[in-house]
Amino acid sequence: MNAADDYVDEMLDGLCSMHPALVRTGSNGRVIARAVGAVKGKVGIVSGGGSGHLPLFTGYVGEGLLDACAIGDIFAGPSVEACMDAIRAADGGRGVLRLFGNYGGDRMNFNLAGELLEGEGIELTTVLGRDDIASGAENEREKRRGVAGIIYAYKVAGAKAAQGADLQEVTRVAEAAVDRCRTIGCAWGACQIPGAAGPTFTIGDDEVEMGIGIHGEPGIWRDRLKPADALTGEMVARLLEDSFVKNGGRASVLVNSLGATSLEELFIAYRSIASLLKERGIEIVSPLVGHYATSMEMAGFSVSILAVDEELESLLAAPADCPFWKV
Amino acid sequence: MGFTHTELNAAVHRAAVAAAQFESELNAADGKLGDGDTGIMLRRLFERLDAVSLPHDLGDAFKSLATAAAGATGSSLGTLLMTALLAASHRLKGRSEVPWGGLGAVMLAARDAMLSRGGGALGDKTVIDSIDAVGRAIDGLDDGAEAKVRSQKAANQMLVEFRDRPCRLGRARMFGDRSKGIDDPGMLAFTRLVEAVCGEVTSR
Repeated sequence: MNAADDYVDEMLDGLCSMHPALVRTGSNGRVIARAVGAVKGKVGIVSGGGSGHLPLFTGYVGEGLLDACAIGDIFAGPSVEACMDAIRAADGGRGVLRLFGNYGGDRMNFNLAGELLEGEGIELTTVLGRDDIASGAENEREKRRGVAGIIYAYKVAGAKAAQGADLQEVTRVAEAAVDRCRTIGCAWGACQIPGAAGPTFTIGDDEVEMGIGIHGEPGIWRDRLKPADALTGEMVARLLEDSFVKNGGRASVLVNSLGATSLEELFIAYRSIASLLKERGIEIVSPLVGHYATSMEMAGFSVSILAVDEELESLLAAPADCPFWKV
Repeated sequence: MGFTHTELNAAVHRAAVAAAQFESELNAADGKLGDGDTGIMLRRLFERLDAVSLPHDLGDAFKSLATAAAGATGSSLGTLLMTALLAASHRLKGRSEVPWGGLGAVMLAARDAMLSRGGGALGDKTVIDSIDAVGRAIDGLDDGAEAKVRSQKAANQMLVEFRDRPCRLGRARMFGDRSKGIDDPGMLAFTRLVEAVCGEVTSR
């Protein structure tokens, strides 16, 4: 990097320079929106969150996905001003869905933005991503945080909006995707915010932590490094125990790198996960393997399972086009 | 003479100097359970606040600061600070001066607004516990010099009193008992800012 204070803005400049379908907008340039502007007559969808998770909370803006995204500093929520700017940028006249992770700062800022926009005539709804099963018990799902699995909600809500559905319908399918999605991650290497005192957590060279969050939030256990199949076996078991799908049914699977983990390693994990799901009679649809929600240079991966019904499966397969996800 | 935009201007500037001075200490405190960037965030935030030209009306002055904060940061601590500034703005609208004895009530109004916005409660081990303590310590106290002393004392007492308690809100709550024995970075930051601001505030 050049300077810690310029890290986010220079990253956004580069992103938009390479992808002219995206533009920086808003009073501080902390909104990524479609270059063509809001689509008139379509429900708008905004997200937002801290930087450092590319493509998440930044890059899923495009046809059949988000309309705008409010960008925060590294691992910090977007400002209230950016949230307001993003909502305005997404407004095509049929209301705007706020779809973001269940984090305190993001909640406060998007809620406050909505209050400050009262009087501008933009109808707003909210859906909170909360797929991380390690961040709260099953009976405290409202406390869980949104991680990689929120991209499924982006996809189905974006597809529904592109079909011309109204705000309530778009909100309903986003909520359905959140309800039916579960994620768990594990990591064996930390990341460090530019300019920060040290890494977000410390972990031994021969250790792995199961259930760790995308900002290094503590997980379920820490132990000696284990083979890939042992990790994926536990992750799949924990996800299915908490999931809509247990035996039989159809599900999408996302095997996601937290940053430093290679595609080769992800495919080793996918091989095992696909086999485990097949043993349980679960058919995989629209699988995803790659860097979809990262934590800068964190070494580790997450697994998300979305239990689909006919409607969600159809929306997942609908056309979408952004720099990081094309269908 | 009471508290006017001159004192507010000076306080913001002193806070900005202090935020830069204590950046590393606050990053290190935050790094024990968090991302390690509280110092960076506050330094950037107060740089923006210090650049604001404050009107004489205290309500407008606090609103100008809140507006600047709204564009400067989206961190939970930053948004809570902005909420406090907005609450002060509402309370002081139309006034160019407030007696020193009225500042406690302004802080307590800010406390209530922050609790409402953040969804927390007193005792959660957050910056709001410190603001509550200082607000109560100076409520009705017309002697500015004494208010300065009591503010610093109250903020430091809260820091010590809460150190061995567990955090009950936000990311830190997930650490449970591991958060015992560690200062909440927001409480520590507020204490450092109070020390910096009250170290030079005059009552006349």
